[in-house]
Amino acid sequence: MPRGLSLYVQGGSPLHRAHPFTKGLLTLAAIALAYIAPSLPWVVAIGLVLVALMTLAGVIRRFLVLALALLLPLTGLLLVVQGLVNPANRTVLIPLGPLSLYREGIGIAILTAGRLVDLVAATFLFSFTTRPADFAEALVQRGLSPRLGYVVQSALQIIQQTLETADRIRDAQRARGLETEGPILRRARAFLPLLLPVVLSSLVATQERAMALEVRGFGLRGPRVARYVVPDTASQRALRWALVLLAPLALIARIAGWR
Amino acid sequence: MNWLNAFKFRLNTLGIVLIPVCIGIDWAGRSIDKALNLPLFLDSIGTVLGGLLAGPWVGALSGFIANFINAGTVDPIAAWYSIVSLGIGFAAGIAGYYSWQRRRPWGWIALWILVFLVASIVSTPLNIGLFSGQSGVWFGDGVYTGLVKAGIPTWIASYFDEASVDIVDKGISVLVAILIYQGLPKRYRSLFRLYRPAEEEPEDKRSPARA
Repeated sequence: MPRGLSLYVQGGSPLHRAHPFTKGLLTLAAIALAYIAPSLPWVVAIGLVLVALMTLAGVIRRFLVLALALLLPLTGLLLVVQGLVNPANRTVLIPLGPLSLYREGIGIAILTAGRLVDLVAATFLFSFTTRPADFAEALVQRGLSPRLGYVVQSALQIIQQTLETADRIRDAQRARGLETEGPILRRARAFLPLLLPVVLSSLVATQERAMALEVRGFGLRGPRVARYVVPDTASQRALRWALVLLAPLALIARIAGWR
Repeated sequence: MNWLNAFKFRLNTLGIVLIPVCIGIDWAGRSIDKALNLPLFLDSIGTVLGGLLAGPWVGALSGFIANFINAGTVDPIAAWYSIVSLGIGFAAGIAGYYSWQRRRPWGWIALWILVFLVASIVSTPLNIGLFSGQSGVWFGDGVYTGLVKAGIPTWIASYFDEASVDIVDKGISVLVAILIYQGLPKRYRSLFRLYRPAEEEPEDKRSPARA
């Protein structure tokens, strides 16, 4: 199977070996903490922990490339808009007449961006170290309906195939003289002739796939036997409980006056 | 509540298999949009089409899962907006139950407004929580800046920020999904129907055997 969309990086680190649920809860707990934490130093600390974990897993360079491309434009927009018009703005930082940037707005923009960095880092930590098939398998073994497990597992592959079909159709339509460049209206007009064949061929494939699955017993009721059981340990189970408790504890601390 | 009937059925194999296909169409829409360099997202066409073809559960599940796959592969922030896609799928599914896509133009406009309202209303609290009220699209954020500068409360400005982007994007997505639906052979339209629609097309009675 082509590597395709999945961001999974092969590796042998403890994070790679951990149960998908442990990593999933780690991601959720980190995101929750980033939004509960009251001030920038805490948000930065969470980010540093996540970066350390990614270094441990050997995926830090890929993370930097992807996260910068994603977050730089957003951060720029946040700084400009909040710096200009945040309602808390009082102190002028950079005087530019009506377009002055204010200290309070910039501060809020930096905190918002810091939380986004944590969110992005926590999510990528999961997707870099977890094979999608393992995640789907773990879900099914914990009681998700196998039919929905199929949906999760097949979606990545089907997206890949659909994108390949879309590329092929684009080349074919161009060869027939469809204009895909030029002014915006001309480009917009090319949208339907490109998408409709993709949709039709996907729907045709759907019917065939449904029949193929059906004759293999896809619709049967009853329990399924797994050929590969996702490994799990008692210490990980304990860790998961700790992660589950982290967010409510932080929330209580915050209400009790964590600054 | 009559429209709740749209939710009453079990997914058969064909419906289940349609979900990843709709997710694929969501992605194809966005990738063609990017290849043509159009200034929109157009990433909910599969969700709307799935809802129209096979009801609210197929639409909602494909939108929901598409966002999570997006979060795990391209844009982690997308996971939060999965709830928006869930709403869009439900809206399209209910519209499909009432066959709005066949009532031109009012059914089309109604579907557009419904999807637009769901998308903009559900997105706004997310934007406030995640982006201090901005939508992250430069055009919408320009609207936000202007409104806040004029003294409008931030949450109203935030709504108009999101709405200014959604009204165009969802309009085109809904239009494209309906046009595709109309362009499908009748066989496929009836194939994916998982329930007897509110009003039956007479030709559809001799529908092919279901897988």
